Amino acid sequence: MNESLTQEKSIYLQICEMIETDILRGILLEEERVPSTNELAKSYAINPATAAKGINLLAGEGILYKKRGIGMFVAAGAKERILQRRRSAFYDNYIRKLLREAESIGLDPEQVIRMIRENEAQNKEERDGRTGM
Amino acid sequence: MDALVCKGITKVYGGREVLKDVDLTLEEGKIYGLIGRNGAGKTTLLSILSAQNPATAGSVTLDGQRVWENQRALGDICFAREIPVAGEGSTSLGALKVGEYLKTAALYYPRWDGEMARRLIRDFELDPRRKLGRLSKGMLSMVTIVVALASKARFTLLDEPVAGLDVVMREEFYRLLLEEYGESGRSFVVSTHILEEASAVFEEVILLKEGRVLLKENTADLLERACRVSGLEEKVNRAVEGLETHHGESAGRRRSVTVLLRPGERIPQDPELSVQPMTLQNLFVALCGREEQTAPPEGRKG
Repeated sequence: MNESLTQEKSIYLQICEMIETDILRGILLEEERVPSTNELAKSYAINPATAAKGINLLAGEGILYKKRGIGMFVAAGAKERILQRRRSAFYDNYIRKLLREAESIGLDPEQVIRMIRENEAQNKEERDGRTGM
Repeated sequence: MDALVCKGITKVYGGREVLKDVDLTLEEGKIYGLIGRNGAGKTTLLSILSAQNPATAGSVTLDGQRVWENQRALGDICFAREIPVAGEGSTSLGALKVGEYLKTAALYYPRWDGEMARRLIRDFELDPRRKLGRLSKGMLSMVTIVVALASKARFTLLDEPVAGLDVVMREEFYRLLLEEYGESGRSFVVSTHILEEASAVFEEVILLKEGRVLLKENTADLLERACRVSGLEEKVNRAVEGLETHHGESAGRRRSVTVLLRPGERIPQDPELSVQPMTLQNLFVALCGREEQTAPPEGRKG
C-alpha cells in the first residue's frame, strides 16, 4: 500500500483498487485482516467516511468480509474474483477507449487488430532473439 | 438535535455586510472544510459560530440552546485561530509563555486533555518556557493546533491552522486531525486556502462567496458531478445547453466550460469533446474566480 492518490479520480475507488491490487500482488493474503478505516484514513490523509465507502464496496462484492469486533478480512477466493472482474472490465476500461481514440484519428478496428498482431510478432521475435543468444 | 446551527446570520462591519443571511447546520461527527476567497467572511463566520463575536442579526444554537453567553455551550465549542502576538495593548499575548498560554486555555475547556497537550508540545518540539512573541509563525500555528486538539471540544473550529506550516508539518497536522477524529468522533471545521492536500480530508465542503454560503455539500459528491468540458466552440455549447455552467473561456475556436451536473444530467458522449474530472481547487477557481475571460478570436491565415 502507501501508493499516492491522484486527485483526478474518486478517492474511494482508488482505495478499492489499491486493496485489490495488494490482494493480486500477494501484499494482502486471503483470510488476512485489512487496515481499518481509521488506519487507512490516517495513512492516506483522507476522511474515514471515504475509506469506509471503499471498504464497504469491496465487502458488498464479497472481496472482503467482516469479522464482528475484529475488522475486515480478505475473503477466500478474493484473488480469483478480482481477476475475473478486472478481465470483464477490461473491455470497458481499455478496448472501448482504444477504439474511440482510433476512430477519432481515422483508424478502423481492422487496422487496430493488425497493429496488435504486429506487436505480438515483434515481442515474439525479441523473446526468441534473447533466448537464442 | 446534536448540531451547531446558525440561522439568518448577518454581520455588518462599518456599514459593510460581511455575512449575509447565513443558514448553516453542522452535524456531530464530521470534518468540514470552510473555503472561500480572502474577505469572503470565513473568519467572521467562525468567530460568530463560537460566540467570540456577536452577530448583527440571526442566532447560533448548540443542541437548541443559544450559544451567546452560554457557559455550557461555550465549553463545547473551541475556536482556534492565529494568536495575536503583535500589536499594542492588552490584546497582545506576546509576553505570555507557551506553557502559561496552554494553562489559560485549559480553564476554558471542561474536557481539556493536559496529557495530550504535553505530548503534542513535545512532538512539535515546542519549548513551553518560550514567550509567544518569540515564536515563528509556524510555531504559533502549532500552539493553536495543540489548543484545538487538546480542547476535546465537541465542535472545534480551526481558522487557517496550516497557514504558517511547511508541507511536512501540514501533512502531520492532517494526520493528527484524522487520528483524533477517528478516535473521538468530534466535529471539526477547518478553513484553508491550500485545497489540494485538504480536499480528501473534508467530508463536506462549505463554500463562502461574498458573505453567502454558495454551497455546502459532500466533497466526493460535489467532485463527482463537476467536470470541465472543452472542444470546438459550437460542439461545447450544444453539449452544455441547459446545464449549470461556470467560468467559460474561449480562445480561438476552442471553448472550455465548467459544468455542475444536477441529478440525472449527463454530458452527451462525443469523441470530439474532452470531459475532464475536476479537483476541488479547479472547481473553487471556476466558482470564485473572475468571470468570463474571452480572448479575441485569432483569424487563421491561409
